[in-house]
Amino acid sequence: MAETKEFEDKAKKVFSAERKEDIWVLILAAITVILGLTGVITPKTFTSLFF
Amino acid sequence: MTDTNSGIVKYIPGLILCIILGWLALQWDQSIHKWQKDFQESEKILKANIKDGKPFLPFAEYLAKSDEKHKEKLAAFERGEIKEKPKKPHTIKEKDYETIATTKEIPFNFRFGERMIQFQLTYVAVLLLGGMLIRNTIGLPKVFQPGAVLARPIIKPGIILLGGYYLWSNLLKVGVFALLLVLVFILGTTVLVAVLGRRMKQDDGLMGVMAAGAGICGVSAAVAVAPVVNAKPRDFFYAVGTILLFGTVALFTFPYIGKALGMSEPVFGAWVGTAILNTAQLVAAATWYGHDALLTANIINIVRVGFIPIVVIFCIWFYVIKKATAEGKEQKINTWQVIKDKFPLFIIGFFAMVTLNELGVFTEDHRTIFGKQFLQIFFAVGFAGVGLNIAFDDLKKAGGKAFVIGFIAATLKAVLSAIVVMMIGTDAFKVK
Repeated sequence: MAETKEFEDKAKKVFSAERKEDIWVLILAAITVILGLTGVITPKTFTSLFF
Repeated sequence: MTDTNSGIVKYIPGLILCIILGWLALQWDQSIHKWQKDFQESEKILKANIKDGKPFLPFAEYLAKSDEKHKEKLAAFERGEIKEKPKKPHTIKEKDYETIATTKEIPFNFRFGERMIQFQLTYVAVLLLGGMLIRNTIGLPKVFQPGAVLARPIIKPGIILLGGYYLWSNLLKVGVFALLLVLVFILGTTVLVAVLGRRMKQDDGLMGVMAAGAGICGVSAAVAVAPVVNAKPRDFFYAVGTILLFGTVALFTFPYIGKALGMSEPVFGAWVGTAILNTAQLVAAATWYGHDALLTANIINIVRVGFIPIVVIFCIWFYVIKKATAEGKEQKINTWQVIKDKFPLFIIGFFAMVTLNELGVFTEDHRTIFGKQFLQIFFAVGFAGVGLNIAFDDLKKAGGKAFVIGFIAATLKAVLSAIVVMMIGTDAFKVK
């Protein structure tokens, strides 16, 4: 019973971590879009990363 | 991301490892694609020169001829005879041209690139197979493990950025079919597993997690449902093991099955979007197949993960409310609270990108940067994490009758959905 309760708490914690993860993901995507729209990253940025 | 600030340091080594592996795989991908283009151009050069039987044109003349052809095509485009603006033609380097002229053969690296593309050994395959190989042979040292787990969701910004490729009309067109597929196959599998589990007198906790996981969005749905159905840790790992095992088998076989069945990219996208149970794995399989497959699979996936709260509500009703009512007790469900708690937030970012594109904020360059280039960067880091986290020991955790039920339901869904999407056809699933 204690094991199940502990697991329930862990599952809830994992889901709340997923929610936080989604927020970080949104921030990362927003930063990329802003950099793209302001011209900081251009189509050449990607090709310049490789030989 | 998933721990307190003091714990952030532990993620860094694994994250750096995934970035390095991602970069190496993208470098490989760039090289083989360039060699493939060189191969195709070399074939044309050889054909043209051997057919004429004359000595090879000097390199400068070859370039001038190619340029002339391009100008002719541009003029035809301006006259409206061609719909799409012709791209600058691909030409090979002088050194390679001279080698072909001397040996009358295509250089080895060009043939190698062509062969690798034929076998679909792009960055996706390299990262997944390579990561899995590392994890299950030399092993992943503990210092890299937290960061490798954290790298997996880095696929999600790529999914959001891909939103810049769609218009609302594209979404609605494919979305109608996506909704039908989700309703019939995904919710259908959830109900089937739940009912079969009851008939076979399996534990509610185990079958609840399995029903959610096998039906909808793999591990995320299993995590969302676990507390609701009072799943025990063993149940949870059995279900997740089954979901991951099916997803891994599907990931490595579906692209080849799709090719063997002659599926077009949009049809394949619709199929994996419906049949593969885990977002990372389905995105990987679709990317492996081609960009159009990814565009379609992404819409199905967005609709599908949007249904996680609905599956949770079904599980609450099936395993809690229905049971309580049968025992003469009264149980209520706060539907809005469930939707608020379980809704995957990143979908909002995807829809924001679609709206910005619809408003004309993005140029063609922006779409290339977001939907192709940076998408590849995010996917590469995420796929490195996915590959490094495929541990055979985790897959072995799948077991018992629940495994049989979950695997049969998932296989049935894969076979039936393949037939249905092939019958519906390419036009319905083609985004553009």
